[in-house]
Amino acid sequence: MPETPLTLWASLPEPLVTVLVILFKITLILVPLLLSVAYLTLAERKIIGWIQVRMGPNRVGFFGVAKGWAQPIADLVKMLMKEFIWPRKANRFLFVLAPIIALTAAVGAWAVIPFDDGLVLADVNAGLLYILAITSLGVYGIIIAGWASNSKYALLGAMRSAAQIIAYEIAMGFALVGVLLAAGSLNLREIVLAQQGGVIDWFWLPLFPLFVIYFISGVAETNRAPFDVAEGESEIVAGFHVEYSGMGFAVFFLAEYAAMILIAALTALMFLGGWYSPFPDTATETPMIGVLLGPGIHWLVLKTAFFLFLYLWFRATFPRYRYDQIMRLGWKVFIPVTIVWLLVVAVAVMGEVPPWFNHPL
Amino acid sequence: MSYHFQPDRSQYPQKKADGTLDIDLASGKYLKLWQGPQHPGITGNMSVELTVCGDEVVEGKTHVGYLHRGFEKLMERRTFIQCFPIVCRVCVPEPDFNEYCYAAAVEELAGIESPERANWIRTLILEMGRINSYLMYLGGQAGSFGMGVIGQWTTYARDLMLDRFEELTGARIYHMFILPGGVRDGLPEGFEKRMEETLLEIESTLGDVYDVMFCNAVFKKRAVGVGFIDPELIDPYGVTGPNARAAGVASDVRKDQPYLVYPELDFEPVIGQDSDIYARADVRRRDTLVSIDLVRQMLAKMPRTGPLMAKIPNVLHWKIPRGETYIRGECSRGEYGYYLVTDGSGYPRRVNVRGPSYTHAVALLERLIVNLDIADVAGLMVSLHTYPPEIER
Repeated sequence: MPETPLTLWASLPEPLVTVLVILFKITLILVPLLLSVAYLTLAERKIIGWIQVRMGPNRVGFFGVAKGWAQPIADLVKMLMKEFIWPRKANRFLFVLAPIIALTAAVGAWAVIPFDDGLVLADVNAGLLYILAITSLGVYGIIIAGWASNSKYALLGAMRSAAQIIAYEIAMGFALVGVLLAAGSLNLREIVLAQQGGVIDWFWLPLFPLFVIYFISGVAETNRAPFDVAEGESEIVAGFHVEYSGMGFAVFFLAEYAAMILIAALTALMFLGGWYSPFPDTATETPMIGVLLGPGIHWLVLKTAFFLFLYLWFRATFPRYRYDQIMRLGWKVFIPVTIVWLLVVAVAVMGEVPPWFNHPL
Repeated sequence: MSYHFQPDRSQYPQKKADGTLDIDLASGKYLKLWQGPQHPGITGNMSVELTVCGDEVVEGKTHVGYLHRGFEKLMERRTFIQCFPIVCRVCVPEPDFNEYCYAAAVEELAGIESPERANWIRTLILEMGRINSYLMYLGGQAGSFGMGVIGQWTTYARDLMLDRFEELTGARIYHMFILPGGVRDGLPEGFEKRMEETLLEIESTLGDVYDVMFCNAVFKKRAVGVGFIDPELIDPYGVTGPNARAAGVASDVRKDQPYLVYPELDFEPVIGQDSDIYARADVRRRDTLVSIDLVRQMLAKMPRTGPLMAKIPNVLHWKIPRGETYIRGECSRGEYGYYLVTDGSGYPRRVNVRGPSYTHAVALLERLIVNLDIADVAGLMVSLHTYPPEIER
């Protein structure tokens, strides 16, 4: 029997095949994710440029089309070439560990994200809990970075970030409890399935305050404007990553943008019906574009892109909150509102209010 | 809703017998934090040494001297005309004021009267410079709170005004257009029309700035009630200009002691009342509109014919008799003054520049900075509208 790749594959032992398949799936998720991160930076600079009446990057590129498209690649090459500077008296082990933790947390959460019905790396029943656990790990990267840098500005940024993430993690958790109540499941795939139908059937309407609070808390959790006190430029220069250069900085950058995409995708999954189409009925009848109008991964991508645009819009038009004002907003506004709305959702679920809650749990 | 920052003072360091604060850095409760001289939140080359307790400033000390160029001393060995390239570099964003004050001081000591038409053009340039300076301030104020978009918009509007400057004087930043005895040239052809287009564009930008910055809830949260200057401090600390007007004190040299053609122009200085960062920003925004109106009035009333320069002696051998004078005027940051002493030789004996930045950024800043959050230090510095180059002439 000739040795073709197919027979070679069949002759491999069972556990090795499983591991290889999982590794292949991880690559399939990670490569588009990292590409999206790269091009999100370009989109950010372009969109903010247009808002600020300027061009944004428009030089780097070849093939003569849409100059500026190679900017992220050029940035990456620059970051790779730059020297990694060690601050004096920095704790070298922790100094390297911090960006790794931040990136691991931002990327690891993608394991349970369903891209379409059944298109998921790990269909875990406790998916929501896994997301909460993994995303909260990200703050360790920031705290350790601030501590290990042996710099006052970095320490202040790390302290602020820790306090801020504790406050917003609670509001975020309560918003997720609302989703759990409404969907009756912690599994992300089943949460999306519970929203089957058109725009009206999605959870953003019955859970509207939770939807808004979840997204704002997500902005705060990823340390983006107007909640970017951990790296407030005019106050503490760059906060926790002030001492990082070269790839250390680039990894923090990757982690921040991967976390942004994660929060946007989660908001789309839990409140905007994930991969469901806003035109459920016309889908099959329309010729040619019927496939596009039906449910599919492209709707999830579109909804994620919408929330990512909101991120950039916020950054372009809001001043930064002061640290104590962020705390006040988190503890005194968001947490009480979420708790009150949880009661409302609980009553609605018990009363089986149509069209969201009249199906059997 | 007005929100005033009220810290818990029981945690604060007590005063010792000699009046200094009892701060024990070894206790770990306080932290020394230097903002500047290289810091994105500082308006220029100066630094503030903060002692913080948590995120709150308990003591601030300003340090200047990073940009000392010795201009006043340099001028003592320059002929009167050679001083002109130097004076405009004292304050970068609004250089014309230095030219006007110095030229007026030289004229007064030499007994020269500048012609009527030159006075109109001088006033026009001063008001154009004021608009520029305010536009730059608005961008900086928003930028100090992390709002980049205003800076880009106002920079665009300011650039249009720089085009008008280039048309009129031949230079964009350092014009050196005002000389002792008058101005270099008259208005170019079609200047009024292009100026009107620029003013309309600036007004529309200011409208956008009002919508995006002044009506923004987060900006109000950051600016209202922060950096309060007590009206009682206005006199002892020598606060002038928009900083004083925002506290409700009508202090405007253009009205109190009119110079150039201001008596013939119809305007009211803008008065605020809350004396916080928001009030100061708002006074400056409204003052820009007043300046735009003044430019329009001047272009309408200005004489188009007449001499531009009075007769001045050969500048290479120009000796001015013994005397001293102080010329004051209202620049965009407050009262600006030049004290000039001559001793009958070809050089000034002494030139002293009274810039408003010195009084605002050193003593007043140290007083206001206490009890603020670290995050507000940059916003406060910008709101006093100070330029470190002007502190260290």
